[in-house]
Amino acid sequence: MAKSTFHNARVAGIACTLPENEVSTEAIASVLGLPPRRIVAMTGIEKRRVAPPHICASDLCADATERLLATLGWKKESIEALIFVSQTPDYILPATACTLQHRLGLSKECASFDVNQGCSGYIYGLWLASSLVETGLQRVLLLVGDTLNRISSEEDKSVAFLFGDSGSATAMERIPATSHFILGTDGGGAGNLIIEAGQCRQRPNSVNSLRVEVEGGKRSPTELFMDGSEVMAFTLREVPPLFEQLLGYAGLQRSQLDGIVMHQANKFLIENLARKIDMPLELIPLSLSEFGNTSCASIPVTISACLREVVSAKSLTLALLGFGVGWSWSACTLSLNSISTPEIAFLK
Amino acid sequence: MNNEDKLHRDLEEMLELDPASLKGDEALETLNWDSMAVVMFIAMADKNYGVAVNVSDVRSAKNVADLYALISK
Repeated sequence: MAKSTFHNARVAGIACTLPENEVSTEAIASVLGLPPRRIVAMTGIEKRRVAPPHICASDLCADATERLLATLGWKKESIEALIFVSQTPDYILPATACTLQHRLGLSKECASFDVNQGCSGYIYGLWLASSLVETGLQRVLLLVGDTLNRISSEEDKSVAFLFGDSGSATAMERIPATSHFILGTDGGGAGNLIIEAGQCRQRPNSVNSLRVEVEGGKRSPTELFMDGSEVMAFTLREVPPLFEQLLGYAGLQRSQLDGIVMHQANKFLIENLARKIDMPLELIPLSLSEFGNTSCASIPVTISACLREVVSAKSLTLALLGFGVGWSWSACTLSLNSISTPEIAFLK
Repeated sequence: MNNEDKLHRDLEEMLELDPASLKGDEALETLNWDSMAVVMFIAMADKNYGVAVNVSDVRSAKNVADLYALISK
């Protein structure tokens, strides 16, 4: 099992930038002929931020990074590695991390690479950044963001009102701090959250780029397919034991946690997961109503939206849980102690 | 209340049907049964009956009695 403990990797700050453009669930539901009340009750999503065509995840992450570095007072030449976690990179190649190194003005001695993960991606990124810091680097930037609306069909009822676009930047530094991680994979579930065409297995062409009638609306093979029922079954099956393993591995009792920040899949799923892991909803912050399911950045978005004032003033012991596309899952415990958290900004 | 009656009451609440209206032989397609209902049933089976139902089995269910068979396994 992939378990790691770190003693010298501290989160110094978290910043998030979202698109200014806002779309209400009510508006999209009326277009699709769905009852908005039932959708909002189930998903918890009242509105979302949707990136216009000229804004990519990298743009949102770059803005968050500039503001975070300014708040921290970190010089750009002090950054030794940049990790970009996303399923919506700018290009197939080169790695978007390389383009971000250049546009952010980071040193040429900075290692830069992309990671393709979604719902579990933030914790994967923290795990990688912590590994780099623990083994010698002084400062690492973790940029995590997605613009899933760009690759989803607004005519597909299973996803049209779900995703919010977002970008985040997290600064890691080599300072004593303890964290515990557990990660896992079941690629047998790959087909339940997938974009089948558009890369190398099925190159995009005039046929697979066309939307066709599917259950619940219209979607092309180059757009996101999600089986929400399988997502629910997978989550209830895999995440509760993951949480128990994490508590045991970290040597923590439930009562020692100040909060659990989960991937913001949807409200119904999170409420059921809270029940299964025996944790009160009061300890599980939600950013869904305002920002929707913000994919890989949903954990930093939720920290920024719901815990900003607390984590900037004192220490919180948190469990983070990520689960979904892959199937992939990740969990960690860590303390956020007086970290820099600029307010969420919105990009035009 | 036995488990079958309990399931009927749970389904009535979940699908916003008239109380005490379900008998067991109702076709799901007549009961607001859609993809969202499948998600809700998976959660309900777990919460109220402690059963991890198979998604494809739920999708294959034709009537209320089929759902009862799934939570009775």
